Amino acid sequence: MKKYIYLFIAVLIFASCDKLEGPFMTDNIINPIDTSTNSFVKKILIEDFTGHTCPNCPDAARELDAIHEIYGDQIIGMAVHVGKTFARPFPLGTGKFEYDFRTTWGETWDSFFGIGTAGLPKGMINRIDYPNDEHRKGKNEWGAAVQAELNKDVDLGIVISSNISGESGTISINTKVLNNISGSYNLVVCLTEDTIINWQKDGQVEVENYEHKHVLRTVLNSEWGEQLTASTSLLSGDNFTHTFNINLTSLEQFNIDYSKNTLFQGNGNAGGWNADNMNIVAYIYNTITKEILQVEETHLNN
Amino acid sequence: MRKLISFLFLLPLIGIAQNNSGEIHGDFNLSLQSYKDDIKIDAIGADEVILNNAYLNINYIKGNFSTGIRYESYLNALADYDPEFKGNGIPYRFATYNLEGLEITAGNFYEQFGSGLIFRSYEEKGLGIDNAMDGVRLKYSPFSGISLKTFIGKSRTYFTYADGIFRGLDGEVNINDAFGLESKTAIILGGSFISRYQQRANPKFNLPQNVSAYAGRLNIIKGGWNYYGEYAYKINDPANSLQENEMNYASGSAFTNSITFSKKGFGVTAEMHRSDNMTFKSDRDKDGKAYLINYIPTLSKPHAYTLLALYPCATQADGELGFQIDLFYKIKKGTLFGGKYGTKLNFNYSRINALNSGGITLNSEDLKGSFLNDNTDHTPMLISIKGEELYFKDINLEINKKINKKIKTNFVIANQTYNKDFLEGHTPGDYGVINSTIAVLDVSYKIKKGHTIRMELQELLAKQLEHAEENEEGSWSMALVEYTISPHWFFAVQDMYNWGNEDVEKQLHYVNVNAGFIKGSNRFSIGYGKKREGIFCVGGVCKLVPSSNGFSLNISSSF
Repeated sequence: MKKYIYLFIAVLIFASCDKLEGPFMTDNIINPIDTSTNSFVKKILIEDFTGHTCPNCPDAARELDAIHEIYGDQIIGMAVHVGKTFARPFPLGTGKFEYDFRTTWGETWDSFFGIGTAGLPKGMINRIDYPNDEHRKGKNEWGAAVQAELNKDVDLGIVISSNISGESGTISINTKVLNNISGSYNLVVCLTEDTIINWQKDGQVEVENYEHKHVLRTVLNSEWGEQLTASTSLLSGDNFTHTFNINLTSLEQFNIDYSKNTLFQGNGNAGGWNADNMNIVAYIYNTITKEILQVEETHLNN
Repeated sequence: MRKLISFLFLLPLIGIAQNNSGEIHGDFNLSLQSYKDDIKIDAIGADEVILNNAYLNINYIKGNFSTGIRYESYLNALADYDPEFKGNGIPYRFATYNLEGLEITAGNFYEQFGSGLIFRSYEEKGLGIDNAMDGVRLKYSPFSGISLKTFIGKSRTYFTYADGIFRGLDGEVNINDAFGLESKTAIILGGSFISRYQQRANPKFNLPQNVSAYAGRLNIIKGGWNYYGEYAYKINDPANSLQENEMNYASGSAFTNSITFSKKGFGVTAEMHRSDNMTFKSDRDKDGKAYLINYIPTLSKPHAYTLLALYPCATQADGELGFQIDLFYKIKKGTLFGGKYGTKLNFNYSRINALNSGGITLNSEDLKGSFLNDNTDHTPMLISIKGEELYFKDINLEINKKINKKIKTNFVIANQTYNKDFLEGHTPGDYGVINSTIAVLDVSYKIKKGHTIRMELQELLAKQLEHAEENEEGSWSMALVEYTISPHWFFAVQDMYNWGNEDVEKQLHYVNVNAGFIKGSNRFSIGYGKKREGIFCVGGVCKLVPSSNGFSLNISSSF
């Protein structure tokens, strides 16, 4: 008789089944936090590892857009083109996919975090869940990870200011500690570029005028950045400022040379930067866990 | 904690020394392969130089109790394996006992409901698939002719378990046995139910937290006739995206039907299946083969000869319609074509095409099956062949003939059509559709007692059905010579020659040399050679095998 009871219990478990009828879209309205006020909010960096001949990558880029649409400027995107398979440019004269979006910093992160070997597209959300292989997330995992990140404390605030005229100028990053925290933290400052119109494979179609958004162009202080402070005990109210002198022409030339001389099938076609579409992205991460605690973004030319 | 659990499972094994009853069985396999760069064939050397897969199974059985473990080692996994298989561990351990018709299993188990349309947990080493369950399973047969199975568990992915929790129930009734009938017609009815629970919140879309699927099956056997039919249905199972185009709320369905007639020297099977939106995963957020939890059996003949299997058909759970007919006939001995030993003929035809997409395109991809959201509602026609995109077609004839006591021959001729762009996920027009005519001659000659030489000659003549942008791989020839000194030794040399490649630089020989030694249940083999990049399939589930150049060592053993 006992056995029948087991089976009966089993049958009960199966009674659950959630068939949905439309409309499928919820009528929840999420009002993004107004990030323009002075108080600091938690911001999230989504690093979208991608490639211009990766057919599924635009789906991930659209997912990032959809997340941005919901959470507004709390979401900061960065498209990192990496690898030999999907990001290598076609030889000059082919007529398509000739641009080399790759950078030395992107390649380093890709190899360190093992992204490309796991297949593109993949992304990292504030680099959480490293190193147990859960840090490289498929696009359908991004939304849930973002939700979890938004619930975390805001421990740091970043203010970016820049003074660029022509091709050169200074960028200054001011970091404010909002809660007492301990640990070793590094600051990384990058430039990204929006509205780059170039080829992209999108599903079965090769799109000539695809709009590439927030493409990683350069990192101003090496792929792992620099110490925020020598102290491992950060107290609320602490304040740190880091200043960078930049020259866009030489930064651009670095990428051209790197493509030509170092990258797999690189062709040196990595220039054509447009400072008007560029953004400064600054983030601070824990050097042990790699988790990004805070990130900020501003236009290069204010 | 996991180590402790593994240890507890091992305890019964340790106790065996004192109690000399029960049986221990095990098997071991080690595969080592070296990889070096070979630019000509696009082979990439491994940083580790040598890659390794190994496993050891140990099972202990005493009466109606059994327990076992499997140790697996990937340091690091072979290049054709998913690199997520990394490291060492005991991912498989179980204990089971059977009492008065009730079988209880705790730990890991493999299970399949019907033909697997809604649930199949299995292991296929060749493909690197192992979605073993971890949980509890009960099997019970209250009366003769009735069997019930139920389980709850999570599904393995690499060295961990996917997020979804599965609950399953399957029942099968053999009418004759259950009602004590003496009918010559056997009727077996089955039904199954499976449900996945995965808690997810999506700020923009409603998500079903419990996704269930059910299936019914019928098997009628009478004399030489055998009919098997199964229908499966899955409720809405959208991904967890924030983009409307990615959210598909359509339900899924699949059916498979086959009818077989066989008698001595003759057999015929006709089969048809259809699958629509039937990809069922153990984690809705994840993509990839490792997360599949169901299985749509293939509808094309699984070929063993290399060039016949060069362009294999991968089953499309998202949407396909296929037919197959298979005829077997043995020409009697003593007749004109039968000769002294008789002649075996096997004819096979299969054809698989897309479901009609209705011309709807989402995110530059044509729809493969049903699609439903707030803006789009598309249900493909139940049966449509004409005008739909062809995925695969294979027509082949195999003639097996023993000439005399020393010579045996096997001859196959086939014509296959392979939609390379679709089946391999390329941009349409890159590689197009390939039609190939293939002939295989396999002759084995027994030189003297224990010494056999076997030779295969294969030819594949490829034709591009539409102009393709990329270079055509073109035609191939292959030859193989194998010398066996039974029961201990074998030696083999094979060469695949891609003489028809449109790119003259790629008209290459792929030579492989193998030798092996077998003694008792220990088997050692070494090899060296070049492999072409290709698709390898088992039962319609496929993986990409990268090109490689290197040595291999394989050791297997069992007791």
